[in-house]
Amino acid sequence: MPDRKMFWRIVRRLFAAQRGRLLVILLALGASAALTAALLNLQVDARDRLTKEFRVFGANIIVAPRDTKSSPGAVTLDESTVDKVRQSLPIHASADSYLYLVASVSAANSAQPVNAVIAGKRTERLDQSALKSAIATPRDNTNLCLVGFKAAQQLNLQPDASLTLKNDKREEVCASDIADSRGDAQDSQIVVNLDAAQRLAALPNKVSLIQVSVPGTPREIRDYISTLAQNISDADVHGLRQFTDAETKIYTRVSGLLTATTALVLALTGLCVMAAMTNVAMERKNDVGLMKAIGGATRRVLRLFLAEAALLGLAGGIVGAAAGLLLSIWLGKTVFGVAARPRLIVYPVSVALTILVAIVSSYPLRRLANISPASVFRGEA
Amino acid sequence: MFLRLVADSFGRRPRRKLLTGAALALGMAVVTAAFSVSLDVGDRLAHEFRALGANLLITPQADSLPLEIGGVDYRPVNSGAYLPEQDLGKIKTIFWRNNIVGFAPVMEVPAEALTTSSSAVPVKTTLLGTWAHHSVTLPDNRTYTTGMDQTNSWWHVDGRWFKDDAPEAIVGKSFAARTNIKPGDTLHINSSGRSVALTVTGVLSAAGPEDDAIVAPLQIAQQLANKPGQYRRLYVSALTKPEDDFARRNPTTMNNADLERWSCSPYASSIAYQIKQVLPGVDAHVIRRVAEGEGSILTRVRMLLWLASFAALLAAALAVGASSAAAVIERRSEIGLMKAIGAGSGTIGFLLAAEQLLLAFVGGGVGYALGIVLARFLGEKIFGVAPEPSILVFIVILVLAACVTLLGSAIPLHRASRYEPAPILRGE
Repeated sequence: MPDRKMFWRIVRRLFAAQRGRLLVILLALGASAALTAALLNLQVDARDRLTKEFRVFGANIIVAPRDTKSSPGAVTLDESTVDKVRQSLPIHASADSYLYLVASVSAANSAQPVNAVIAGKRTERLDQSALKSAIATPRDNTNLCLVGFKAAQQLNLQPDASLTLKNDKREEVCASDIADSRGDAQDSQIVVNLDAAQRLAALPNKVSLIQVSVPGTPREIRDYISTLAQNISDADVHGLRQFTDAETKIYTRVSGLLTATTALVLALTGLCVMAAMTNVAMERKNDVGLMKAIGGATRRVLRLFLAEAALLGLAGGIVGAAAGLLLSIWLGKTVFGVAARPRLIVYPVSVALTILVAIVSSYPLRRLANISPASVFRGEA
Repeated sequence: MFLRLVADSFGRRPRRKLLTGAALALGMAVVTAAFSVSLDVGDRLAHEFRALGANLLITPQADSLPLEIGGVDYRPVNSGAYLPEQDLGKIKTIFWRNNIVGFAPVMEVPAEALTTSSSAVPVKTTLLGTWAHHSVTLPDNRTYTTGMDQTNSWWHVDGRWFKDDAPEAIVGKSFAARTNIKPGDTLHINSSGRSVALTVTGVLSAAGPEDDAIVAPLQIAQQLANKPGQYRRLYVSALTKPEDDFARRNPTTMNNADLERWSCSPYASSIAYQIKQVLPGVDAHVIRRVAEGEGSILTRVRMLLWLASFAALLAAALAVGASSAAAVIERRSEIGLMKAIGAGSGTIGFLLAAEQLLLAFVGGGVGYALGIVLARFLGEKIFGVAPEPSILVFIVILVLAACVTLLGSAIPLHRASRYEPAPILRGE
């Protein structure tokens, strides 16, 4: 169709004629696309990262014996439950199984034994990635016990002294390591290998409770808790409300803030392009007057300019969004210490948003519709 | 003449000026909102983090080893040391007293419970004595109300909390399920020969070992343990600053200047140190799990939001710069005319800059007002509390508006100074 050919020819000429001005608009669009892409990517990534960051609080789910009849403390879970939990663990999650008992502890040099809580611990996790465990674990298969700092004070414990743990007639000897102050119950406990605790308590293959640490949005964690509860019928699965509650609150706040900022930046970039388009409209008065005078319908003329704007948006978006993704990788590194993973979905979304912004911001071109050719030629307006 | 020209320029083309001014105001409004919210966000989030509960734990210094599993101490009542309850008001006299948002003393008593509804077999359990919502008399005779509903805000009570001065109690939900006890029932508690009857007012779900216990007023626990006016542990919830390397230094080895700087920062450890100074014979520990997690997340979120506001600032600068550039370009023919009748490039530049500055101040002021409204809206939407308007932001906004408009018009002005009047007047 010759009509369409002519249309694109004019568009091409428009680009060629005002290179400087169009470069400015392209720059504005590109910058806005970069900012949008960077913020969008950072937003998606930050939410993800934040849920991982929350895991510095440690476990957020507890699997404990369901116990409605007997008294607390005496009930234990079978290790088959631990297996079930391990099989259901999502990626990056970890679970610690604990067995608690009270034993009499004596250091080699002090004659006076002290009663202390012994916590047998074993960590289960699917992947061995660098997820920081909030609690140091004695490595499996070694006879090391991690002595809480209050317990060490009471025992007058020298570094690297060996400890004797005694319960009834059973005895375990281990090399000690003193833990830093943590301000919680673990300060007065002695953490040992789970197997050692099971031998000491004469409760083979039993655990007192399982602490699970699962990263995810509040909703994901809720879902995980309910699936786990269905899989494990003989134990009580619940979220550690102290942390899940606070995490939900903080997560909603931060993600609300990020959404608000992204929306504001988008509105601003629209404003920026609009200002540049006003410029273009000013300069095009003569062209439009001429086109109208030789019979161009207002709608066709406007369509011409809209096509131009959309093309500019596309070009600016493609270049800018790529730059923005790179920017967000760097930003992620400064904020979270880990480079933000570029999400592919962000790229088309920000290109589309930029095109949209370019078209919407061509609103000032509407003025061109009211131009009457005669007044342009007279040199008025 | 100069002023007249400026006034004329505004009077003749109010619509054009309004457009540029509006763009400026909008841009500045967004920056104001972003800055106000960012300035406020640290405090707001610090408050949100207090939902995590206590971050400081106070215990007697000369204590035997606690037999504590998951927050409940299983020691018999006559072993270990206790602390006097009457001293607690002193906590609100330390330098950082306003940062202390709540505290609650705790004392556990192993007890046997007899319910009127169940059989005559007593159920072994732990009675946890604490404050629900207690009025403390401070040394300066003011009263301060605090308790578990502030330090452990994640505890949900079906029914209502007990009154601190009444023989009432709430029961953990597992315990309630085990014994079939309901709010309104009476519990008979027995502990080493002493007994007391308590009315159950609610069922507690704490998602912790307290679910298996009875929670009662501290004075009931004191009465059962025969330890009047004493408690075993104290939980303190304080607003703190994330710890850095300086915060972790040992205060006893600091020189005076460092010690002063250290005590004047609300680090968890310096608040713990100050509490230790007002309460004799105590050990104050930072609950690392809470404090460190809070610190690291708070630092990250704050940085993230500053980056986001910086992005908003950049976008606003671009928008305002572009619109002021447009405003100058529009006036090419005017500039040509002025040059033709003998104005120097300097005079024209000065005139246009003065106009732009005037516009910047008006636009910036309006933008600030709009931005405060926007910030209030966002603050209320996100945190439920509006940020306080700040003078600092106002000044920053005005300076910013001036810089950005001048920068934006600098390039077209520079070009305008090289215009030859003749072609412009010819309309080319």
